[in-house]
Amino acid sequence: MAEKRPNRVLGPNHDTFWEFCTQADFRLQKCDQCGSVQFPPSPACPECLSLEMTWTPMSGKGTILSHTTFIRQYYPECPPPWHCILVQIDEGPSFVMNPLRQGADIDEAELKAGTRVKVAFIDAEDKAGEFKMPVWDTLKE
Amino acid sequence: MAYDFDLMRKISGKVAVVGVGETDYGADYRQSSGATRRRGTAGELDGYGLAAVAFSRALKDSGLKKSDIDGVVVSGPIASEPTCEYLGLTPNWGSTFNGLSDAIIPMAVMAIMSGHCTTVAVIKGDDQRSANTQFGGPASRITRLGEQMYHPWGFSSPGAQHALMWQHYMDVYGRREEELFVVPNNARKWAQMNPNAVMYGRPMDFDSWWNSAYIAKPMRLFDYCIINDGGTCLILRRADLCQDLPNKDVVVSGFSWETVTHSSQLKDRVDDNYYAKTKAAADAAYAMAGIGPKDISHFQVYDAFSDILIWAMEAFGFCERGEALDFIGKNGENIFKGGKLPAMTSGGHQSDCYLQGWAQQAEAVRQMRHSAGDRQVEGAKYSMYTHPGGEGPHTVLYSRV
Repeated sequence: MAEKRPNRVLGPNHDTFWEFCTQADFRLQKCDQCGSVQFPPSPACPECLSLEMTWTPMSGKGTILSHTTFIRQYYPECPPPWHCILVQIDEGPSFVMNPLRQGADIDEAELKAGTRVKVAFIDAEDKAGEFKMPVWDTLKE
Repeated sequence: MAYDFDLMRKISGKVAVVGVGETDYGADYRQSSGATRRRGTAGELDGYGLAAVAFSRALKDSGLKKSDIDGVVVSGPIASEPTCEYLGLTPNWGSTFNGLSDAIIPMAVMAIMSGHCTTVAVIKGDDQRSANTQFGGPASRITRLGEQMYHPWGFSSPGAQHALMWQHYMDVYGRREEELFVVPNNARKWAQMNPNAVMYGRPMDFDSWWNSAYIAKPMRLFDYCIINDGGTCLILRRADLCQDLPNKDVVVSGFSWETVTHSSQLKDRVDDNYYAKTKAAADAAYAMAGIGPKDISHFQVYDAFSDILIWAMEAFGFCERGEALDFIGKNGENIFKGGKLPAMTSGGHQSDCYLQGWAQQAEAVRQMRHSAGDRQVEGAKYSMYTHPGGEGPHTVLYSRV
């Protein structure tokens, strides 16, 4: 069953990010001119300002840089303890998302800096409808 | 990318802070939280009303007439046009800017020294507590993409960003959670000497800090700033026009305005603790005034969260990276009264007042006037204020003529 989640930011570029996610395909924009990979979804390449970028499959692998656990509840859909991790993917960009598992019985290793992670997708739903969203599972290499 | 230090030095010390006005932060806080509302205090006043009280006090302090004010910058969430209408001001230069004091004071100095005006009132008024303003969650006041985009993952609030930063710093430098206590405790100790502070009369011990609820782990409630209503106003005037004024001995001798932009990727925040940009800002302000870290007698930081003072001290060259907690000392002795670098002497954002840095500017000016009473840093000559954070880092360096 789809988990209820707070609303996504939608609109130009963000829509495309989520369309690929909903096909369980983790893609970011890669600049056709200089090859740099963008996050957040952007109107232009921040390196060379080219408007020509292609949504390109990522390796889906990364490393945790830091983590926090919300004890205060900010969203009705995200009950504490609610875990967030800052992940840097192997292609360079970093972002804050969730580990695959939530709750009090999570292993410290699932949050710790240096842990290798791989993308996974969970079924989710917000005001705009159902979608799949990327979260991060531990990776054994 | 290059600063022109020769040009910057030409305007160093040429603008004085001649007026300071503040609302009664402690009384305002208790009013906005309680049932009894007294005319002219928070709860009864909105942001504009609080701004009016602060402006009127600053004008009186300055000895100027209202008609002398020819520049106005109003600090959001209130706006310039209604503020000027309510206060009967007709400036020829001014604007509304975001909430940050640290960017607005440099703007005022630049306007004065480029000949657009001579006397600028910078005015803040905010009823954020009475208005139940949110800094996280679906109704967060913070609208930058890095706050909005992470809603589906349940990540929100500046405090949570600082939780990532402090967690990372602990991992890299081998620090422990309990070591952070010295920072909020320093602010709370200073506030016990400041009757206008929200936390005056409410000292804190280790257990009450340690047992305060986590908000975003590892940051606790008492690692967060207060949310209170209030207003602050500073009046700045070209120094050569101040001979006849009662308060003319404090000047802006340096400032800088760097920028951190990666509010979504957060890497420069978490990996670097804003170090590169904050150091660049520090170095620019030092160069503008022709001084260095050893000359600073008093340090004020936008301490919305406990970790920020640590990053700031390292980037400003008071100690090496990873060593700020050693510098501060086991009991916080080196940033308290009589210490090497008294910091957050009014109680800062955590124990005096959170108005996006404005009250800290007022305290810096008081310290440079040598009018801070029990809190006075003896012989203080330079006070450095910095906001090493989002849309910053900015600095304002005050000195005593």
